[in-house]
Amino acid sequence: MSRLLAFLVSLVLALPAAAQSVVTTDNVRAELLSEVSQVKPGEPFWVALRETMQPHWHTYWKNPGDAGQPTDIAWKLPAGVTAGPIVWPTPTKIDVSGVVNYGFEGDVLLLVKITPPADFTGSTLPLAAEANWLVCSDVCIPENGKFTLTLPVGPAATPADPATRALFDAARRQVPMESPWPARFGVAKSGDPFLVVDAKGLKPDTIRDVYFFPAEWGAVANMATQSARVTADGIRIPLKKGDAKAAMPQRIAGTLQLSEKTADGEHRQAFDIAATFDPTLAADAAPLTASGDDGETLALWKALVFALLGGLILNLMPCVFPVLAMKAASFVRLAGQSRRDIRRDGLAYAAGVLVTFGLMAAVVLAIRAGVGEVSWGFQFQSPIFSLLIAYLFFVVGLNLSGAFEVGGRFTGLGQGLASRSGTTGAFFTGALAVIVATPCTAPFMAAALGFALSKPAPQTVAVLLAMGLGLALPYLALAFTPALQRLMPRPGAWMDRLRQFLAFPMYASAVWMIWVLTQQAGADGVLYALGGMILIAFAIWLLRLGTPVSPTVWLRRGVAALAVLLAFAAALKVEDQPATAASASGGPSAGVGFDGWERFSRARLDEAVTARKPVFVDFTAAWCITCLVNERVALETANTRHAFEQTGTVKLRGDWTNRDPEITAMLKELGRAGVPLYLYWAPGADRPTILPQILTEASVIATLTSSQQAKR
Amino acid sequence: MSNVVVHRRSLLLGSMVLAVAPVAAHATSDLGKPAPLFTATDSNGKSWSLAGLRGKIVVLETTNHGCPYVGKHYRSGNMQAQQREAAAGGMIWLTVASSAPGKQGYVTATQANEIVAEHHAAPAAVLLDPESAIARAYGATVTPHMYIIDASGVLVYKGGIDSIATADSNDIPRAKQYVRAALAELLADKPVTDASTRPYGCNLKYAESA
Repeated sequence: MSRLLAFLVSLVLALPAAAQSVVTTDNVRAELLSEVSQVKPGEPFWVALRETMQPHWHTYWKNPGDAGQPTDIAWKLPAGVTAGPIVWPTPTKIDVSGVVNYGFEGDVLLLVKITPPADFTGSTLPLAAEANWLVCSDVCIPENGKFTLTLPVGPAATPADPATRALFDAARRQVPMESPWPARFGVAKSGDPFLVVDAKGLKPDTIRDVYFFPAEWGAVANMATQSARVTADGIRIPLKKGDAKAAMPQRIAGTLQLSEKTADGEHRQAFDIAATFDPTLAADAAPLTASGDDGETLALWKALVFALLGGLILNLMPCVFPVLAMKAASFVRLAGQSRRDIRRDGLAYAAGVLVTFGLMAAVVLAIRAGVGEVSWGFQFQSPIFSLLIAYLFFVVGLNLSGAFEVGGRFTGLGQGLASRSGTTGAFFTGALAVIVATPCTAPFMAAALGFALSKPAPQTVAVLLAMGLGLALPYLALAFTPALQRLMPRPGAWMDRLRQFLAFPMYASAVWMIWVLTQQAGADGVLYALGGMILIAFAIWLLRLGTPVSPTVWLRRGVAALAVLLAFAAALKVEDQPATAASASGGPSAGVGFDGWERFSRARLDEAVTARKPVFVDFTAAWCITCLVNERVALETANTRHAFEQTGTVKLRGDWTNRDPEITAMLKELGRAGVPLYLYWAPGADRPTILPQILTEASVIATLTSSQQAKR
Repeated sequence: MSNVVVHRRSLLLGSMVLAVAPVAAHATSDLGKPAPLFTATDSNGKSWSLAGLRGKIVVLETTNHGCPYVGKHYRSGNMQAQQREAAAGGMIWLTVASSAPGKQGYVTATQANEIVAEHHAAPAAVLLDPESAIARAYGATVTPHMYIIDASGVLVYKGGIDSIATADSNDIPRAKQYVRAALAELLADKPVTDASTRPYGCNLKYAESA
């Protein structure tokens, strides 16, 4: 009934074809819009069919997916006037009970470029179009409309009203851009293709919701979900073979969509890619393509074994070495103890390891549930953590050196032989081993960890616990095998000497942590860290002065507490660093081009601002996709370049790929956590205008020219 | 030449993987493989089993009388004409109503018969598939989604009824009628040229996935 009504309504509305640019049906309001209000012969301009759907209704993309039909427009234009094909925006995946559709909900503009000939003589340009579209919710209704739009022709093209132009700007933003990266595809053993986008240097943690929309039916199936992998080497998307009977074509075209997390939020980007067949692409590197149940169980089984072995090997890793030293010291202490005590110590250590691995798994899961992907060793991306660990190594080193003895509860490392406190100490030694071991696990355990982090919670926990068991295994074996214990020497004076010697690996580890810190917080970080260490040493010295009954004890304790507080305050100074740039990696910034731009430096900026020149600053990084998109669509277009030239704007580009400290300082000053950041100093202005993170050509040109006009 | 080798191998392995581990929500049926077997009751209460039809060429047509793409081929008479041609050639044409209850296209036996009468349709039977079991087994995504099973029970065609994916019946005369062409090739003992084509139409109305 309603379908009939809709049909009638559309029929009635389509009838008076005189000057009809809006067609309204039950489900769609369709309108033909023009970006110009006056046409200039020879100058192409954009029109759009705007479809505004009722909630839950959708129209279709050029590849409609498993069902449906794309909108098509047939034009009737005066002789010589041509209309281009529809320039499609990035679609949305609409899954209807397992049938995957690609289309649009809400509001969509289908852009078409109209080119009037240079010798066009008419005083008006009548555009007539007949459009057919299928609109579906749980049912489908084919609809159509006839549209006419008559535009005056004049000596110059006149832009339409700002609201219409804003619609076109927004629509262009939705159109995928040409991919900045080459793409290839290979064919896995299963016959399924997999896509490789050679986007080097991306930050995997910041990218998610990767999906490839195949441009047409046939080679690639329309998939409800795709398990894309983002690494620093690029993006890999396992696909499913489509239904076409023909052999896999040499090219697979489509639209790649992803979301990038920047300091200001998530930005969705889309790129048109055409992947060429690359027979050299190894199929074996596509572990997750065939997601058969058997394959997964086998992989879990393997991952558990690898994790256990990896845990064992961890004992030999430099990161764990300091903990090994502590463990050796505690074993030395245990030499000659009863078998029961030794066993209890081994169990406590293992428990410490396992509980900590369990906790870390919980943290990983919590973060994954909260913000998406995490990378292993994430805690070392925080400079404050690095600093605290450096302090810890330093203090343990001082303790081993004999600078002080710890009384009370934490006797595991110290003089106390009470089995209860020894057990506690062993537990915390295990915990510490895990915390410092994790950065080592990343490179050596990549496969198993990658598996663990990408799997459902129970599997993540299982793999991490297996690794913990591996780490604790040698001590458990030692603690439970009297034959091995007999190999250990008798207690004696050598124990003290060994303990003092073991302080040095601890100091070395502290030095290493401070080096990590320099990567994260720059030279200032070292100043704060070493200053903090002196304060801690000072506090220890103060506390050991005199006897507990001395009258100055409270004064000394107060000063010591103050010193420790100051040391920890240093942590706050190094803390406010950008999380996105925390990794010390990065490599050469091949991705950032400087064509037509000067390299940013504070001196150059100050000079240009003082000279009352207009200045535009672009802070970018090779791994920042949003930056790249802005450059392509807004900063490096012919019109924007022209505007830069016309206004004599000084163009400075700062490359933050490797965390240039000068740029970091500048970002900090402006209260920004990362790139993209765009600044504009109008001539003579002493403060910059901060542009939005999403640029359009129009907004940049408006920024550049508005101040120009204001000046006049 | 190497292309051909890769393709054949990958096709074989691909189908093996699918056979072992059906991962998608809906299975996909493979050309050149035995077609998924089914038994179903038609609108007259008669039971049909694909296994029992061995020796005959069988055509499956998913339907939803509310779908404009189905409407295109019934209003124009295209579907009925092909049903009659198939029957005349000794083939079994089964129209399958796979919409879930409460969804567009769901029919009772009586309604199914009324629709057949109204359209002067001539399938061998209208199978009632309210649990979408047949559609699911074949991986049907649209109505009409067409399948042809040869006399030995092997799937030899899957895809659309013809080559122009619109709801406009004026397009039918210009379109290549894939199913009619495939049936002619089968009768002549030739391999089917266009064995897998793009299916088009409305979403098949499966029950909401749990």
